[in-house]
Amino acid sequence: MAEHEHISCQEVVELVSDYLDQTLPADEATLFEQHINFCDGCDWYLDQMRTTVATVGRVTEEEVPEETRDKLLTAFREWKRS
Amino acid sequence: MNAYKFLRADGTGVFTRFAWPLPDAGPGDWVATEPHPCRSGIHACRLGDLPYWAGRVLYEIELEGEVVEHKTKVVASRGRLLRRVDTWDDALRATYTRYCADRAHEMARESGLERWEEVIEPSIPEGPALLGFVAARIAEEAGGPQAYHAERARQTDWLADRLGLA
Amino acid sequence: MPESGLQERTAAEEGELLARLRAGDERAFEALVERHYATMLAVARHYVNTRAVAEEVVQEAWLGVLKGIDRFEGRSSLRTWILRILVNTAKTRGVREARSVPFSSLVPEGAEPAVEPARFRGADDPFPGHWRAYPGNWQRLPDEALADRETLKVVLAAIHQLPPPQRIVITMRDIQGCDAQEVCEALDVSEGNQRVLLHRARSKVRGALERHLDG
Repeated sequence: MAEHEHISCQEVVELVSDYLDQTLPADEATLFEQHINFCDGCDWYLDQMRTTVATVGRVTEEEVPEETRDKLLTAFREWKRS
Repeated sequence: MNAYKFLRADGTGVFTRFAWPLPDAGPGDWVATEPHPCRSGIHACRLGDLPYWAGRVLYEIELEGEVVEHKTKVVASRGRLLRRVDTWDDALRATYTRYCADRAHEMARESGLERWEEVIEPSIPEGPALLGFVAARIAEEAGGPQAYHAERARQTDWLADRLGLA
Repeated sequence: MPESGLQERTAAEEGELLARLRAGDERAFEALVERHYATMLAVARHYVNTRAVAEEVVQEAWLGVLKGIDRFEGRSSLRTWILRILVNTAKTRGVREARSVPFSSLVPEGAEPAVEPARFRGADDPFPGHWRAYPGNWQRLPDEALADRETLKVVLAAIHQLPPPQRIVITMRDIQGCDAQEVCEALDVSEGNQRVLLHRARSKVRGALERHLDG
Protein backbone atom coordinates (compact mmCIF):
# COMPACT_ATOMS: atom_id res chain seq x y z
CA MET A 1 0.00 0.00 0.00
CA ALA A 2 1.31 3.43 -0.86
CA GLU A 3 2.69 5.53 1.94
CA HIS A 4 0.14 8.01 3.00
CA GLU A 5 1.12 11.64 2.54
CA HIS A 6 -0.41 14.72 3.88
CA ILE A 7 0.78 18.22 4.60
CA SER A 8 0.21 20.36 7.64
CA CYS A 9 -0.98 23.96 7.81
CA GLN A 10 2.57 25.04 8.53
CA GLU A 11 3.66 23.49 5.25
CA VAL A 12 0.67 24.85 3.37
CA VAL A 13 1.54 28.47 4.15
CA GLU A 14 4.94 27.91 2.53
CA LEU A 15 3.29 26.64 -0.66
CA VAL A 16 0.56 29.21 -1.09
CA SER A 17 2.53 31.57 -3.31
CA ASP A 18 3.53 28.81 -5.71
CA TYR A 19 -0.01 27.45 -5.75
CA LEU A 20 -1.40 30.83 -6.77
CA ASP A 21 1.14 31.06 -9.58
CA GLN A 22 0.45 27.46 -10.64
CA THR A 23 4.07 26.42 -10.23
CA LEU A 24 3.47 23.60 -7.77
CA PRO A 25 4.20 20.14 -9.15
CA ALA A 26 0.97 18.18 -9.76
CA ASP A 27 1.28 15.85 -6.76
CA GLU A 28 1.98 18.70 -4.36
CA ALA A 29 -0.89 20.71 -5.76
CA THR A 30 -3.19 17.77 -5.09
CA LEU A 31 -2.02 17.47 -1.48
CA PHE A 32 -2.43 21.20 -1.14
CA GLU A 33 -5.99 21.12 -2.43
CA GLN A 34 -6.89 18.11 -0.30
CA HIS A 35 -5.76 20.04 2.73
CA ILE A 36 -7.58 23.22 1.76
CA ASN A 37 -10.68 21.14 1.27
CA PHE A 38 -10.84 20.09 4.90
CA CYS A 39 -9.09 22.97 6.66
CA ASP A 40 -11.02 26.21 7.01
CA GLY A 41 -7.97 27.97 8.47
CA CYS A 42 -5.86 27.35 5.40
CA ASP A 43 -8.76 28.11 3.08
CA TRP A 44 -8.96 31.52 4.72
CA TYR A 45 -5.19 31.93 4.56
CA LEU A 46 -5.23 31.21 0.83
CA ASP A 47 -7.95 33.79 0.43
CA GLN A 48 -5.90 36.27 2.47
CA MET A 49 -2.94 35.73 0.16
CA ARG A 50 -5.11 36.23 -2.95
CA THR A 51 -6.44 39.43 -1.45
CA THR A 52 -2.93 40.56 -0.57
CA VAL A 53 -1.67 40.05 -4.12
CA ALA A 54 -4.72 41.81 -5.56
CA THR A 55 -4.21 44.75 -3.20
CA VAL A 56 -0.52 44.96 -4.04
CA GLY A 57 -1.59 45.15 -7.66
CA ARG A 58 -3.55 48.29 -6.93
CA VAL A 59 -0.67 50.18 -5.40
CA THR A 60 0.45 53.21 -7.39
CA GLU A 61 4.13 53.41 -7.77
CA GLU A 62 6.57 56.18 -7.36
CA GLU A 63 6.17 58.98 -9.84
CA VAL A 64 8.62 60.07 -12.46
CA PRO A 65 10.59 63.09 -11.15
CA GLU A 66 9.92 66.23 -13.15
CA GLU A 67 13.51 66.67 -14.22
CA THR A 68 13.58 63.19 -15.66
CA ARG A 69 10.26 63.74 -17.38
CA ASP A 70 11.51 66.96 -18.97
CA LYS A 71 14.76 65.42 -20.18
CA LEU A 72 12.92 62.48 -21.68
CA LEU A 73 10.34 64.65 -23.43
CA THR A 74 13.12 66.71 -24.95
CA ALA A 75 14.80 63.56 -26.17
CA PHE A 76 11.50 62.33 -27.56
CA ARG A 77 10.92 65.52 -29.54
CA GLU A 78 14.40 65.34 -30.98
CA TRP A 79 13.84 61.74 -31.98
CA LYS A 80 10.59 62.68 -33.63
CA ARG A 81 12.28 65.29 -35.71
CA SER A 82 15.05 63.01 -36.91
CA MET B 1 -16.03 6.74 -17.73
CA ASN B 2 -18.37 7.94 -15.02
CA ALA B 3 -17.11 9.48 -11.81
CA TYR B 4 -18.14 11.96 -9.14
CA LYS B 5 -17.50 15.58 -8.47
CA PHE B 6 -18.09 17.82 -5.48
CA LEU B 7 -18.98 21.43 -6.11
CA ARG B 8 -19.69 24.45 -3.95
CA ALA B 9 -23.28 25.15 -2.97
CA ASP B 10 -23.55 27.59 -5.86
CA GLY B 11 -22.45 25.05 -8.44
CA THR B 12 -18.95 26.41 -8.87
CA GLY B 13 -15.70 24.47 -8.68
CA VAL B 14 -14.20 24.26 -5.21
CA PHE B 15 -10.79 25.56 -6.25
CA THR B 16 -11.40 27.17 -9.60
CA ARG B 17 -14.83 28.65 -8.89
CA PHE B 18 -15.67 27.69 -12.43
CA ALA B 19 -19.43 27.84 -12.98
CA TRP B 20 -20.41 24.35 -14.08
CA PRO B 21 -23.34 23.87 -16.47
CA LEU B 22 -25.71 22.07 -14.12
CA PRO B 23 -27.94 19.16 -15.14
CA ASP B 24 -31.58 20.09 -15.50
CA ALA B 25 -33.93 17.80 -17.38
CA GLY B 26 -30.84 16.12 -18.77
CA PRO B 27 -27.08 16.25 -18.36
CA GLY B 28 -25.33 19.59 -18.25
CA ASP B 29 -23.33 20.82 -21.23
CA TRP B 30 -19.93 19.36 -22.01
CA VAL B 31 -16.95 21.24 -20.66
CA ALA B 32 -13.61 20.84 -22.38
CA THR B 33 -10.19 21.98 -21.24
CA GLU B 34 -6.81 22.39 -22.81
CA PRO B 35 -4.71 19.26 -22.59
CA HIS B 36 -2.14 20.45 -20.09
CA PRO B 37 -1.38 17.49 -17.83
CA CYS B 38 -0.46 19.30 -14.66
CA ARG B 39 -2.25 22.58 -14.88
CA SER B 40 -5.73 22.19 -16.18
CA GLY B 41 -8.23 19.48 -16.83
CA ILE B 42 -11.40 18.33 -15.22
CA HIS B 43 -10.83 16.79 -11.81
CA ALA B 44 -13.14 14.08 -10.58
CA CYS B 45 -13.41 11.38 -7.92
CA ARG B 46 -13.64 7.67 -8.26
CA LEU B 47 -15.65 6.10 -5.44
CA GLY B 48 -12.53 5.58 -3.35
CA ASP B 49 -11.62 9.26 -3.66
CA LEU B 50 -14.87 10.59 -2.20
CA PRO B 51 -13.66 10.84 1.42
CA TYR B 52 -10.72 13.02 0.38
CA TRP B 53 -12.82 15.58 -1.38
CA ALA B 54 -16.05 15.56 0.64
CA GLY B 55 -17.73 18.84 -0.09
CA ARG B 56 -21.05 20.56 -0.15
CA VAL B 57 -22.85 19.25 -3.22
CA LEU B 58 -22.19 16.02 -5.12
CA TYR B 59 -22.70 15.27 -8.79
CA GLU B 60 -22.20 12.31 -11.01
CA ILE B 61 -19.99 13.28 -13.94
CA GLU B 62 -19.30 11.70 -17.31
CA LEU B 63 -15.72 11.97 -18.50
CA GLU B 64 -14.39 11.70 -22.03
CA GLY B 65 -11.17 12.10 -23.90
CA GLU B 66 -7.87 11.49 -22.22
CA VAL B 67 -8.42 10.42 -18.62
CA VAL B 68 -5.39 10.30 -16.37
CA GLU B 69 -5.59 8.45 -13.07
CA HIS B 70 -3.79 9.89 -10.05
CA LYS B 71 -3.57 8.71 -6.47
CA THR B 72 -6.71 10.38 -5.23
CA LYS B 73 -8.39 11.74 -8.36
CA VAL B 74 -8.77 11.42 -12.08
CA VAL B 75 -8.19 14.22 -14.55
CA ALA B 76 -9.92 14.34 -17.91
CA SER B 77 -10.05 16.69 -20.86
CA ARG B 78 -13.83 16.62 -21.24
CA GLY B 79 -16.69 16.21 -18.81
CA ARG B 80 -20.36 16.88 -18.22
CA LEU B 81 -22.45 16.65 -15.07
CA LEU B 82 -25.04 13.90 -15.39
CA ARG B 83 -27.10 14.30 -12.24
CA ARG B 84 -26.94 15.64 -8.75
CA VAL B 85 -26.58 12.98 -6.09
CA ASP B 86 -29.49 14.19 -4.00
CA THR B 87 -28.88 11.71 -1.23
CA TRP B 88 -25.79 13.77 -0.30
CA ASP B 89 -27.63 16.47 1.60
CA ASP B 90 -26.96 18.37 4.81
CA ALA B 91 -28.54 15.64 6.91
CA LEU B 92 -26.34 12.92 5.47
CA ARG B 93 -23.28 15.13 5.71
CA ALA B 94 -23.98 15.49 9.43
CA THR B 95 -24.57 11.76 9.84
CA TYR B 96 -21.35 10.93 8.02
CA THR B 97 -19.44 13.48 10.10
CA ARG B 98 -20.83 11.84 13.23
CA TYR B 99 -19.87 8.41 11.93
CA CYS B 100 -16.27 9.53 11.38
CA ALA B 101 -16.17 11.18 14.80
CA ASP B 102 -17.44 8.02 16.51
CA ARG B 103 -14.85 5.94 14.64
CA ALA B 104 -12.21 8.43 15.72
CA HIS B 105 -13.19 8.17 19.40
CA GLU B 106 -13.33 4.39 19.20
CA MET B 107 -9.88 4.06 17.66
CA ALA B 108 -8.33 6.68 19.93
CA ARG B 109 -9.52 4.81 23.01
CA GLU B 110 -8.63 1.39 21.67
CA SER B 111 -5.09 2.44 20.88
CA GLY B 112 -4.43 4.59 23.92
CA LEU B 113 -4.25 7.70 21.76
CA GLU B 114 -6.21 9.80 24.22
CA ARG B 115 -4.58 13.02 23.17
CA TRP B 116 -6.67 12.91 20.00
CA GLU B 117 -9.88 13.12 22.02
CA GLU B 118 -9.53 16.87 22.51
CA VAL B 119 -9.42 17.37 18.76
CA ILE B 120 -12.41 15.31 17.62
CA GLU B 121 -15.52 17.11 18.88
CA PRO B 122 -14.21 20.63 18.18
CA SER B 123 -13.61 19.56 14.58
CA ILE B 124 -17.26 18.65 13.97
CA PRO B 125 -18.38 22.11 12.76
CA GLU B 126 -15.80 21.94 10.01
CA GLY B 127 -17.58 18.98 8.60
CA PRO B 128 -17.10 15.65 6.85
CA ALA B 129 -13.80 16.23 5.11
CA LEU B 130 -12.02 17.13 8.31
CA LEU B 131 -13.51 14.36 10.40
CA GLY B 132 -12.72 11.83 7.70
CA PHE B 133 -9.13 13.01 7.81
CA VAL B 134 -9.00 12.90 11.63
CA ALA B 135 -10.33 9.34 11.73
CA ALA B 136 -7.88 8.20 9.09
CA ARG B 137 -4.97 9.91 10.85
CA ILE B 138 -5.83 8.20 14.14
CA ALA B 139 -5.98 4.89 12.31
CA GLU B 140 -2.58 5.65 10.85
CA GLU B 141 -1.03 6.49 14.20
CA ALA B 142 -2.39 3.27 15.61
CA GLY B 143 -1.63 1.00 12.69
CA GLY B 144 0.49 2.68 10.03
CA PRO B 145 -0.23 3.63 6.40
CA GLN B 146 -2.20 0.45 5.68
CA ALA B 147 -4.57 1.33 8.51
CA TYR B 148 -4.96 4.82 7.08
CA HIS B 149 -6.03 3.42 3.74
CA ALA B 150 -8.24 0.82 5.38
CA GLU B 151 -10.07 3.56 7.26
CA ARG B 152 -10.52 5.53 4.06
CA ALA B 153 -11.90 2.40 2.44
CA ARG B 154 -14.41 2.04 5.28
CA GLN B 155 -15.46 5.64 4.73
CA THR B 156 -15.90 4.94 1.03
CA ASP B 157 -18.03 1.87 1.76
CA TRP B 158 -20.19 3.86 4.16
CA LEU B 159 -20.70 6.61 1.59
CA ALA B 160 -21.33 4.27 -1.33
CA ASP B 161 -23.92 2.42 0.71
CA ARG B 162 -25.77 5.46 2.06
CA LEU B 163 -25.61 7.37 -1.20
CA GLY B 164 -26.81 4.40 -3.23
CA LEU B 165 -23.81 4.47 -5.51
CA ALA B 166 -22.47 1.53 -7.50
CA MET C 1 -4.74 34.03 -10.63
CA PRO C 2 -2.85 37.27 -10.52
CA GLU C 3 -0.77 36.63 -13.60
CA SER C 4 -3.14 35.87 -16.42
CA GLY C 5 -5.64 38.74 -15.92
CA LEU C 6 -2.94 41.32 -15.37
CA GLN C 7 -0.89 40.08 -18.29
CA GLU C 8 -3.80 40.13 -20.71
CA ARG C 9 -4.68 43.70 -19.83
CA THR C 10 -1.03 44.68 -20.04
CA ALA C 11 -0.54 43.12 -23.48
CA ALA C 12 -3.57 44.91 -24.92
CA GLU C 13 -2.53 48.26 -23.48
CA GLU C 14 1.03 47.79 -24.66
CA GLY C 15 -0.07 47.19 -28.23
CA GLU C 16 -1.98 50.43 -28.22
CA LEU C 17 0.85 52.44 -26.69
CA LEU C 18 3.35 51.00 -29.15
CA ALA C 19 1.25 52.02 -32.15
CA ARG C 20 0.76 55.51 -30.82
CA LEU C 21 4.43 55.84 -29.93
CA ARG C 22 5.50 54.95 -33.45
CA ALA C 23 3.06 57.53 -34.73
CA GLY C 24 4.92 60.13 -32.65
CA ASP C 25 2.32 60.50 -29.91
CA GLU C 26 4.02 62.26 -27.00
CA ARG C 27 1.31 61.23 -24.54
CA ALA C 28 1.94 57.59 -25.34
CA PHE C 29 5.62 58.03 -24.61
CA GLU C 30 4.84 59.73 -21.31
CA ALA C 31 2.45 56.95 -20.37
CA LEU C 32 5.05 54.33 -21.18
CA VAL C 33 7.70 56.11 -19.14
CA GLU C 34 5.35 56.45 -16.18
CA ARG C 35 4.25 52.88 -16.38
CA HIS C 36 7.76 51.43 -16.24
CA TYR C 37 9.61 54.02 -14.20
CA ALA C 38 9.54 52.44 -10.76
CA THR C 39 10.59 49.04 -12.00
CA MET C 40 13.29 50.38 -14.30
CA LEU C 41 14.71 52.48 -11.51
CA ALA C 42 14.68 49.59 -9.05
CA VAL C 43 16.31 47.21 -11.49
CA ALA C 44 18.92 49.79 -12.53
CA ARG C 45 19.62 50.54 -8.89
CA HIS C 46 20.49 46.91 -8.44
CA TYR C 47 23.39 47.24 -10.88
CA VAL C 48 24.89 50.66 -10.08
CA ASN C 49 26.21 52.52 -7.09
CA THR C 50 23.82 55.37 -6.53
CA ARG C 51 20.25 56.38 -7.20
CA ALA C 52 21.48 59.31 -9.24
CA VAL C 53 23.36 56.98 -11.56
CA ALA C 54 20.34 54.69 -11.71
CA GLU C 55 18.28 57.67 -12.87
CA GLU C 56 20.78 58.36 -15.62
CA VAL C 57 20.70 54.73 -16.64
CA VAL C 58 16.92 54.87 -16.95
CA GLN C 59 17.12 57.96 -19.14
CA GLU C 60 19.80 56.42 -21.30
CA ALA C 61 17.73 53.27 -21.66
CA TRP C 62 14.77 55.27 -22.93
CA LEU C 63 16.99 56.79 -25.61
CA GLY C 64 17.90 53.27 -26.61
CA VAL C 65 14.21 52.35 -26.71
CA LEU C 66 13.42 55.27 -29.02
CA LYS C 67 16.33 54.47 -31.29
CA GLY C 68 15.27 50.88 -31.61
CA ILE C 69 11.49 51.19 -31.59
CA ASP C 70 11.11 50.98 -35.35
CA ARG C 71 13.01 47.73 -35.38
CA PHE C 72 11.05 46.16 -32.53
CA GLU C 73 9.41 43.11 -34.04
CA GLY C 74 7.16 42.11 -31.18
CA ARG C 75 8.74 38.70 -30.70
CA SER C 76 8.80 39.47 -26.99
CA SER C 77 6.47 41.78 -25.12
CA LEU C 78 7.29 45.47 -25.29
CA ARG C 79 8.01 45.51 -21.59
CA THR C 80 10.44 42.60 -21.82
CA TRP C 81 12.24 44.37 -24.62
CA ILE C 82 12.41 47.65 -22.70
CA LEU C 83 13.72 45.84 -19.64
CA ARG C 84 16.41 44.12 -21.68
CA ILE C 85 17.64 47.47 -22.96
CA LEU C 86 17.53 48.76 -19.42
CA VAL C 87 19.52 45.84 -18.03
CA ASN C 88 22.15 46.07 -20.76
CA THR C 89 22.51 49.79 -20.17
CA ALA C 90 22.71 49.27 -16.41
CA LYS C 91 25.27 46.50 -16.66
CA THR C 92 27.49 48.52 -18.97
CA ARG C 93 27.27 51.47 -16.66
CA GLY C 94 27.86 49.29 -13.61
CA VAL C 95 31.04 47.94 -15.10
CA ARG C 96 32.22 51.41 -16.00
CA GLU C 97 31.49 52.65 -12.51
CA ALA C 98 33.44 49.71 -11.11
CA ARG C 99 30.53 49.06 -8.84
CA SER C 100 31.89 49.20 -5.34
CA VAL C 101 28.83 48.21 -3.38
CA PRO C 102 28.22 44.46 -3.51
CA PHE C 103 24.98 43.28 -5.03
CA SER C 104 22.30 42.85 -2.44
CA SER C 105 22.32 39.13 -2.80
CA LEU C 106 19.48 37.69 -4.79
CA VAL C 107 20.09 34.30 -3.27
CA PRO C 108 17.53 34.02 -0.49
CA GLU C 109 19.42 33.56 2.71
CA GLY C 110 18.50 31.50 5.71
CA ALA C 111 15.07 30.40 6.74
CA GLU C 112 12.25 32.88 6.80
CA PRO C 113 8.98 31.23 7.75
CA ALA C 114 5.93 32.71 6.10
CA VAL C 115 4.12 32.65 9.43
CA GLU C 116 5.70 32.58 12.92
CA PRO C 117 6.08 28.96 14.02
CA ALA C 118 4.40 29.71 17.34
CA ARG C 119 1.08 30.03 15.55
CA PHE C 120 1.11 26.31 14.80
CA ARG C 121 0.74 23.32 17.06
CA GLY C 122 3.94 21.67 18.20
CA ALA C 123 5.41 18.25 17.60
CA ASP C 124 3.79 16.67 20.66
CA ASP C 125 0.33 17.74 19.62
CA PRO C 126 -1.97 15.21 17.90
CA PHE C 127 -2.24 17.73 15.07
CA PRO C 128 1.37 18.91 14.69
CA GLY C 129 1.76 21.80 12.31
CA HIS C 130 -1.91 22.78 12.36
CA TRP C 131 -3.08 26.26 13.23
CA ARG C 132 -3.52 26.90 16.93
CA ALA C 133 -6.02 29.60 16.09
CA TYR C 134 -7.30 30.10 12.57
CA PRO C 135 -6.35 33.25 10.66
CA GLY C 136 -9.17 35.68 9.96
CA ASN C 137 -11.78 35.12 7.28
CA TRP C 138 -11.45 38.29 5.22
CA GLN C 139 -14.53 37.40 3.19
CA ARG C 140 -16.43 38.55 6.25
CA LEU C 141 -14.93 42.03 6.14
CA PRO C 142 -16.89 44.85 4.55
CA ASP C 143 -15.63 45.67 1.05
CA GLU C 144 -14.54 49.12 2.17
CA ALA C 145 -12.04 47.70 4.61
CA LEU C 146 -9.96 46.31 1.77
CA ALA C 147 -10.46 49.16 -0.65
CA ASP C 148 -9.76 52.18 1.49
CA ARG C 149 -6.73 54.44 1.30
CA GLU C 150 -5.47 53.44 4.70
CA THR C 151 -5.20 49.83 3.58
CA LEU C 152 -3.29 50.80 0.45
CA LYS C 153 -0.95 52.91 2.55
CA VAL C 154 -0.26 49.95 4.81
CA VAL C 155 0.52 47.77 1.80
CA LEU C 156 2.75 50.42 0.23
CA ALA C 157 4.63 50.89 3.49
CA ALA C 158 5.09 47.14 3.81
CA ILE C 159 6.52 46.95 0.30
CA HIS C 160 8.91 49.79 1.02
CA GLN C 161 10.15 48.01 4.12
CA LEU C 162 11.04 44.85 2.24
CA PRO C 163 14.68 44.01 1.64
CA PRO C 164 15.53 45.33 -1.87
CA PRO C 165 15.61 41.94 -3.64
CA GLN C 166 12.14 41.04 -2.34
CA ARG C 167 10.88 44.51 -3.12
CA ILE C 168 12.01 44.41 -6.73
CA VAL C 169 10.54 40.98 -7.33
CA ILE C 170 7.11 41.72 -5.87
CA THR C 171 7.02 45.04 -7.73
CA MET C 172 7.82 43.41 -11.03
CA ARG C 173 5.54 40.38 -10.56
CA ASP C 174 2.50 41.67 -8.71
CA ILE C 175 2.43 45.37 -9.59
CA GLN C 176 3.90 45.38 -13.07
CA GLY C 177 2.60 41.97 -14.05
CA CYS C 178 5.96 40.73 -15.33
CA ASP C 179 6.22 36.98 -15.67
CA ALA C 180 8.86 34.92 -13.93
CA GLN C 181 11.01 34.74 -17.03
CA GLU C 182 11.27 38.53 -17.31
CA VAL C 183 12.29 38.83 -13.69
CA CYS C 184 14.94 36.14 -14.03
CA GLU C 185 16.38 37.84 -17.11
CA ALA C 186 16.29 41.32 -15.65
CA LEU C 187 17.91 40.41 -12.36
CA ASP C 188 20.05 37.45 -13.38
CA VAL C 189 18.35 35.30 -10.80
CA SER C 190 17.25 31.68 -11.04
CA GLU C 191 13.59 30.82 -11.33
CA GLY C 192 13.70 29.04 -8.00
CA ASN C 193 15.28 31.96 -6.16
CA GLN C 194 12.90 34.38 -7.76
CA ARG C 195 9.99 32.28 -6.48
CA VAL C 196 11.38 32.24 -2.95
CA LEU C 197 11.87 36.01 -2.97
CA LEU C 198 8.32 36.54 -4.19
CA HIS C 199 6.93 34.15 -1.59
CA ARG C 200 8.76 35.93 1.22
CA ALA C 201 7.71 39.35 -0.01
CA ARG C 202 4.06 38.37 -0.30
CA SER C 203 4.12 36.70 3.12
CA LYS C 204 5.46 39.84 4.75
CA VAL C 205 2.91 42.06 3.07
CA ARG C 206 0.13 39.69 4.09
CA GLY C 207 1.38 39.90 7.66
CA ALA C 208 1.25 43.69 7.56
CA LEU C 209 -2.25 43.61 6.11
CA GLU C 210 -3.33 41.13 8.76
CA ARG C 211 -2.08 43.33 11.59
CA HIS C 212 -3.91 46.27 10.07
CA LEU C 213 -7.20 44.48 9.41
CA ASP C 214 -7.40 42.27 12.47
CA GLY C 215 -6.29 45.00 14.82
